[in-house]
Amino acid sequence: MPLITRKQVIPGDVIASGDYRYGSYIEKRGSDYIALRIGLAEVSRDGVKLIPLTGPYIPHVDDQVVGKVIDMSGFGWEIDINSSFFGYLPASFVFGREFSPATHDLSSKFKVGDLLLCKIEAFDRSRDPQISIRGPGLGKVPEGEIVKISPTKVPRLIGRKGYMVNMISAQTGCELKVGQNGLVVVSGPPEGILKAANAIRMIEEEAHLADLTTKVQNYLGAEAQGGE
Amino acid sequence: MENKKKLISDDGVRTDGRRWNELRPIRMEVGQLKNADGSAYIEFGKNKIVAAVYGPKEVHPKHMVLPDRALIRCRYHMAPFSVDERKNPAPSRREIEISKVIREALEPALIAEDYPRAAIQIFVEVLQSDGGSRVAGITASSLALSDAGINMRDRVVGCSSGIVDGQVVLDLNDTEDKEGSGDMPVAFMPNLNQVTLLQVDGIYTPENFRKAFELAMTGGRMVYEMQRKALLEKYFGASPSETAMEEEE
Amino acid sequence: MSAVKKNYVVETLRKAQMVELLAKGKRVDGRSQDETRALKIETRLIEKANGSAKVSLGNTQVIAGVKVATGTPFADTPDRGVLMVNAEVLPLASPYAEAGPPDENAIELARVVDRGVRESEMVDLSKLVLIAGKSVYTVFVDVNILNVDGNLFDATSYAVVSALRTAKMPKFEADGEKVANTGKLMPLPVQKTPVSITMARIGSIIVVDPTAEEEAVMDARITFTTDDEENICAGQKGEAGTFTPAQVMEAAEKAIRKGRELRSVIKEATG
Repeated sequence: MPLITRKQVIPGDVIASGDYRYGSYIEKRGSDYIALRIGLAEVSRDGVKLIPLTGPYIPHVDDQVVGKVIDMSGFGWEIDINSSFFGYLPASFVFGREFSPATHDLSSKFKVGDLLLCKIEAFDRSRDPQISIRGPGLGKVPEGEIVKISPTKVPRLIGRKGYMVNMISAQTGCELKVGQNGLVVVSGPPEGILKAANAIRMIEEEAHLADLTTKVQNYLGAEAQGGE
Repeated sequence: MENKKKLISDDGVRTDGRRWNELRPIRMEVGQLKNADGSAYIEFGKNKIVAAVYGPKEVHPKHMVLPDRALIRCRYHMAPFSVDERKNPAPSRREIEISKVIREALEPALIAEDYPRAAIQIFVEVLQSDGGSRVAGITASSLALSDAGINMRDRVVGCSSGIVDGQVVLDLNDTEDKEGSGDMPVAFMPNLNQVTLLQVDGIYTPENFRKAFELAMTGGRMVYEMQRKALLEKYFGASPSETAMEEEE
Repeated sequence: MSAVKKNYVVETLRKAQMVELLAKGKRVDGRSQDETRALKIETRLIEKANGSAKVSLGNTQVIAGVKVATGTPFADTPDRGVLMVNAEVLPLASPYAEAGPPDENAIELARVVDRGVRESEMVDLSKLVLIAGKSVYTVFVDVNILNVDGNLFDATSYAVVSALRTAKMPKFEADGEKVANTGKLMPLPVQKTPVSITMARIGSIIVVDPTAEEEAVMDARITFTTDDEENICAGQKGEAGTFTPAQVMEAAEKAIRKGRELRSVIKEATG
């Protein structure tokens, strides 16, 4: 099986020298590949990759995010999506084309403080992200607890093809709605929520360790057995 | 004729017991403030400085937004109890100038184009000051920026040198800064070999200037290694490791 | 890293969770109604200051520094030294804090803490006179808030009290019309340990030592400072909500009881 070299790097470190394909958070200088973030670098014949361990959420179109309504104007809701920009959910997306501020009351649908599972519909360098709730399962979050993690840890929480998040869900009897922006809604039985929240925090703290999957498995598996 | 106190003894010992090319004791800690996106604490001799970063975040006031890059802001501030005579908390002209030079020392390292229309705010709060607080602040700010996950080409590190009793020395303390005949704070990005801050105060022969400048860079490289250890310890709990492993399924 | 509005908006679901738990006498961080968070006090960390203290109350972090000099007394108290408490919420302490001169919240904070120290006569100002009417010791206590997570009042008060208790001031001597520094150091004339206890009313429940989240949903806030004899020497109700007279008395009783507890913690940390 092919070999990967994994390295712990910080900004300014040379990850590798040579001729490779390379991804985000890396800068090529001559034949050196420089890390731009703190993270885990991987060098393989596929190229040089850096998995950051810290950093902000940058919205991308089609991202599923958990947002909080923080304000509303006549024409839409302002949503805190944990990025450097607020998201904007136009009233017409929710009420339909016949929407008019004179006849439709925004607070009848969503109020300040409501949590929404939503999608980034549009976003580019010239304007704030536009949010939509068109899609299966999107809309106001009716119940559950929020767990906040660094957005850089979300891929680890989801796991390859959803393996990790599905395992947590199965072992705790809880539903997990994961936002790419680092907000996770956990709903289900109280003991399940506690276990799931602990598993999520474990993943956040130890995302850089290789045997994380086993650790989480043991934590959840062992707890489930103990409860019987 | 005034009998001027010697700042270096005849056998080369300075007021705090160091030799000409020794740094003061340095301690670094990363990520101790919960609200800030990134933070660091540094002790450089008696300097005790907190650096914090918020960003990328919204720009206020809105008219200052830059369409293609982040707006970088920096505030250097000294606590009233940080110096011998209590200092008024309102920003002084000195603090405003230092805020600017620190910002300009850090900006070249930040990839501001990755954060258009946003702001990155850097805070340097001096809890105790003892000469060289701006370079210590820059060093701590680099740690805080790394902690916040802002894309950086390299870390910036700062160190000062100067002239005391006619000799070029490394890392001036407060007494040497006040009573010596030259002070030169320098900040640079070691991997890129680019100088981002240089201030010269005092009279230097061309030879002394070259010596002092190179000495500050040498000191800076030692501090750069300490930054590395501090970040690795915070994030990985140990010294750098490299592992070869089988590819995962 | 977020864009922020002026105030912290607590999620409706979270608020409902808080209220539900409170009805059972518990809080979201696992504490009971009257429980205070972990309190850490570190003193004498700023050598250039005459006294200093760094306090963490849960995640709220503050640092206080004492600077003692000499100066003229206030016109209305020629026979007492000068004591001033100043507080600043540093802009790095919270995404909602802004740089600039202290706003009404920071000023209220400084004045309430100052009153607690002054009214309790923690520092015997009559012992800080060098030449009556002309020259007295001036004691400035400056507090910088480093991280906001609720209850700045108590954290600031504990830092001020701890810094004053462990301060070493220069000893001056009157020499005719002038005063001169003898070069010796002495402690401040401290005779009391006032303890501030702040509570928040959320619905009908009064909780001690609120976090930022609890402060974001609270209806009203009240602070009482007690002295070593368990007299109430300062109090302040804050925010636009109200308290019933019974709730005021409940809060006063809690302040005396918790004040007793925390007084021994502070005294031990600054002994």
